[in-house]
Amino acid sequence: MSTRTLISPAQLARPRGKALYWTVFTVVVGGFTLVFLGPLYWLISSGFKDTQEVIRTPPTLVPESFEPDNYRQAWDVMDLAGLLGNTLYYAFGALAFQLVLDVAAAYSLSKLRPVFGKAILGMMLATLMIPATVLVVPQYLTVLDVPIFERNLLNTPWAIWLPSVTNAFNIFLLKRFFDSIPKELLDAAAMDGASPMRTLWSIVLPISRPILGVVSIFAVVGVWKDFLWPMLTLPDPAKQTLNVGIYSLSSGVPVNVLIAALTIASVPTLLIFLIFQRNIMSGLTAGGLKG
Amino acid sequence: MRSARFRRTRRASAVALVSALTLTALAACGTSSSDNDGGASDGGGSSDPSAPLDPKTKVTITIDCMPPAAKAAELKEWKEDVKEFNKTYPNVTIEGRSTPGQCLEPPRFTAMLKAKSQPDVFYTYFTDLPQVLDHDGAEDITAYVNDKTVPALKDIDPNVLGTLKHDGKLYGLPTSNYTMGLLINRKLFKQAGLDPDAPPRTWAEVRTAAKKIADLGDGIAGFGEYSAANTGGWHFTAQMYSIGGEIVDASGKKAAFNNELGKQVVKNLRAMRWEDDSMGKTQLLKWGDLQKQIATDKLGMFLAAPDDIAYMAQQLGAKYENFGMGPIPGEKATLAGGNSYMIKKGISSDKIKAAVAWLNFKNLTVGKGQFDWERTKADGLPVGVPQPNFWLNESKTKDDAARSEHATMPVENFKTFMDNPVAGKAEPPKAQEIYKVLDNVMSGVLTNKDADVDKLLSTAESQVNQILANQ
Amino acid sequence: MSAPSLTQSKAGPPRHSQPRETSRATPGGSFAKSLRRNLTAHGFLIGAVLCFAFFSWYPMVREFFLAFQKTEAGETTWVGLDNLRTVFNDPAFWQAWRNTLLFTVLALVLGFVVPFVVAIVINEFHHGQGYLRLLVYLPVMLPPVASVLLFKYLYDPGYGLLNEVLGIFGVPEQQWLQDADLSMLSVVIAATWMNMGGAALIYLAALQSIPGELYEAAELDGAGLLRKIWHVTIPQTRLILSLMLLMQIIATMQVFVEPFLLTGGAGPEGSTTTVVYLIYQYAFNFNNYGAAAALGLLLLVLLAGFSAAYVRLSRAEDE
Repeated sequence: MSTRTLISPAQLARPRGKALYWTVFTVVVGGFTLVFLGPLYWLISSGFKDTQEVIRTPPTLVPESFEPDNYRQAWDVMDLAGLLGNTLYYAFGALAFQLVLDVAAAYSLSKLRPVFGKAILGMMLATLMIPATVLVVPQYLTVLDVPIFERNLLNTPWAIWLPSVTNAFNIFLLKRFFDSIPKELLDAAAMDGASPMRTLWSIVLPISRPILGVVSIFAVVGVWKDFLWPMLTLPDPAKQTLNVGIYSLSSGVPVNVLIAALTIASVPTLLIFLIFQRNIMSGLTAGGLKG
Repeated sequence: MRSARFRRTRRASAVALVSALTLTALAACGTSSSDNDGGASDGGGSSDPSAPLDPKTKVTITIDCMPPAAKAAELKEWKEDVKEFNKTYPNVTIEGRSTPGQCLEPPRFTAMLKAKSQPDVFYTYFTDLPQVLDHDGAEDITAYVNDKTVPALKDIDPNVLGTLKHDGKLYGLPTSNYTMGLLINRKLFKQAGLDPDAPPRTWAEVRTAAKKIADLGDGIAGFGEYSAANTGGWHFTAQMYSIGGEIVDASGKKAAFNNELGKQVVKNLRAMRWEDDSMGKTQLLKWGDLQKQIATDKLGMFLAAPDDIAYMAQQLGAKYENFGMGPIPGEKATLAGGNSYMIKKGISSDKIKAAVAWLNFKNLTVGKGQFDWERTKADGLPVGVPQPNFWLNESKTKDDAARSEHATMPVENFKTFMDNPVAGKAEPPKAQEIYKVLDNVMSGVLTNKDADVDKLLSTAESQVNQILANQ
Repeated sequence: MSAPSLTQSKAGPPRHSQPRETSRATPGGSFAKSLRRNLTAHGFLIGAVLCFAFFSWYPMVREFFLAFQKTEAGETTWVGLDNLRTVFNDPAFWQAWRNTLLFTVLALVLGFVVPFVVAIVINEFHHGQGYLRLLVYLPVMLPPVASVLLFKYLYDPGYGLLNEVLGIFGVPEQQWLQDADLSMLSVVIAATWMNMGGAALIYLAALQSIPGELYEAAELDGAGLLRKIWHVTIPQTRLILSLMLLMQIIATMQVFVEPFLLTGGAGPEGSTTTVVYLIYQYAFNFNNYGAAAALGLLLLVLLAGFSAAYVRLSRAEDE
């Protein structure tokens, strides 16, 4: 961290500055650990308590009982494997659709510039301004009976995948990134006789890796976190997502088993996050918007 | 030139790729909309609806609310029943779908009806009929249900069948029915020095008992109530009925709870919650929460249907001998409800016949299916719980005898409930919407020490009046 | 679905001015060429456009129609302003708006200011930045239902941990979700915990791009810590701050999961009933799509104001 920030290095170098720095640092690190890891610790440890201890007043910080069986029960009874599988299926399907269709659209809008391109982009961006939840009702009715095709997408992954493509924000991000690619590069490719498809594939996409990373994270996280839409469009319990599945099961199992289930549900993403945190973090901050 | 052609084909293929992806995506979108419809005969049965199902008929029916894996014992029984049913009807395939947790949740149910995605045979509450008919979702099965297809028909309580009829047409077959009573935790009663064989009979007695139980300390509540997810309003209704009150007046157009009786209900709750502190600190509870509390000996009593005990024994690991039941305090009337199966509109006549045959076998035959008490006992489920409770005449005599012969619940635990039957009263019209409003009355009094009773009731009254005016 | 939620609020690459297209006006055979070019371009577009048409644009139009229709027993009729009247006469109507406003204000105070302050603080540290960033972002990765139910458990006045921990610091026992005056705040705290990571990281990236000389210059003018924040940090991040502010307003007005799971939606005496929850109630509990659409339309009109500001800002930012 060599960049100069708010507080001057000279100030920090003084003994008082140093003492203050370390005090604040300790308090912040301690406080953050408590605030962000504390609840997680409690979640994991409560999952080991027996039915009585988990609802004891006052609560116990260190479990006095030890029932790892809660975790097994949670896994079996709530069919967490199935829910997890469903969610991953929906999330990566949505990712694939967005990567293909949204990248193609952004590329076309940015580099191929068709007639009405501006108007289409405008209409896409306009959807950003309309709160998604306001549209839930008509969108839901549309999914029940897609006009022209007369299909009912309820209980099919299409109900998640196709609407996920209408992510104007990702299109916007992609288009802006493509805009920044120097035209000379593409012109040179065109001179060599490369088709737009080929240019996209072998020139544009390789240099767009950072933005593709960001868009992918948004796509996956979007599906992973969504609740209302999958709750409405995937009512079949065998097809539910993790979020909805846990919600509908939460009333039917003892508290300690529910908490064990919450822990299990949290583990996969935490693992993915911890393993790929470097990539995710740098993806999030790569080419960050400068004030 | 060569390069130009090369370019064009590549371009074309790119265009094709992208658009094809979308089109196939849309076009391939499942066939879920239509495979259940269509009245084509898929077997070789008789066309007369009143004739029983021909055993040779080959047909598949889908049905929801099959017990989930969490209810291991009931699931095992379901599978056994399918097997036995298939001895008579070897070509009928029963395709069960199960929901862990609460099998019917109103929002999901509404969505299902809207989408017409209900299975051939679908589970409903007694109060759902108007909504189902609004969506044209259920088949009129009057012609299919008769002495031949449902031999015990004449012994089914006509009041129960009445809730499944509209304009004289029958739309469903009952699975179970209940009248609400006071469920108690016997262990806590004993600890508090109360007699578990004599549950409180008036609300004043409930208050005294609740106080004694709460005095045990350790986070134990004496009496519990719901106040969220429509279940608060549901129980407010039950309490109103119990002291002779109404929710909606006889005309069905006006709210009828903003009166002395309504205030009595709210004030009694307020006294228990705030003066005695006997209702626990955690509120905004909904169905499932009180069961968890009483199953872990943190709650003394609450209003419940008898089958909550089976639920707690299977899913929450509770010991059923630990529970007992008394009639609803007040005893003027008690909320009566239940559930049934309806049959999806538009399915083939053979499917309807198969569905009626299955429902008859599973739910409406004394000594079989859900009434096979010997098996229920062997599977470790509670027997002796007074639910379902729709038999009359000869069937009742036979079923009662079998129940007491195989009873696993000590009979005295239910004696007060059985010996003091309280008249059942149906739920109000627009029940779910009204319950939603009444949730606020319950949450108001249970979460706010200084809640204004008059204002809570009058606000709710005007909201309910509006709901009733909008129908 | 495509809500500009906190975690999605990232903008793109460094700006370069788009070079004007020069090859456009080549004379001779230009028609065929341009036609071909357009066909290709639209070919690339068609997939996304179809998705937008079906799942975004068409529902928008439909929303408008629904608001003035009623469907009963499968028959749809025009009812004019009846749905709006129903919505207006609902005693929960004004309460829902008050609650939504309160939620938005609270969410801005907490959800907007807190991550900014957190980002400033983290940015000052010369150690452990990676660890702190990791901590702040961790909750974003949890399934929201797990986080919300965890908070419900933490908040419980009986066996919940929160009162215990705060008790150590001398804070008296609170009823959190069950106190009509506190319930909304409790919901916002949970929502902030769950979502602030994304915003904090974006601010952090913005802060790290502020040229250090600006601070040095301010110090030469004798500026203290707060004045440096006011005169350097905030102006330098002004654009991202205003963008995030608008996105947050739009996002918070749509809040659903948190109150739905924490307080059952309505909350004590209806104190957490939001407009979106009311829409959900109408549509999926009361089966009244007309009223739901009418209320949605009202929310839409209100948000259109914010959205217009958003467009203006993002355009200003684009140039």
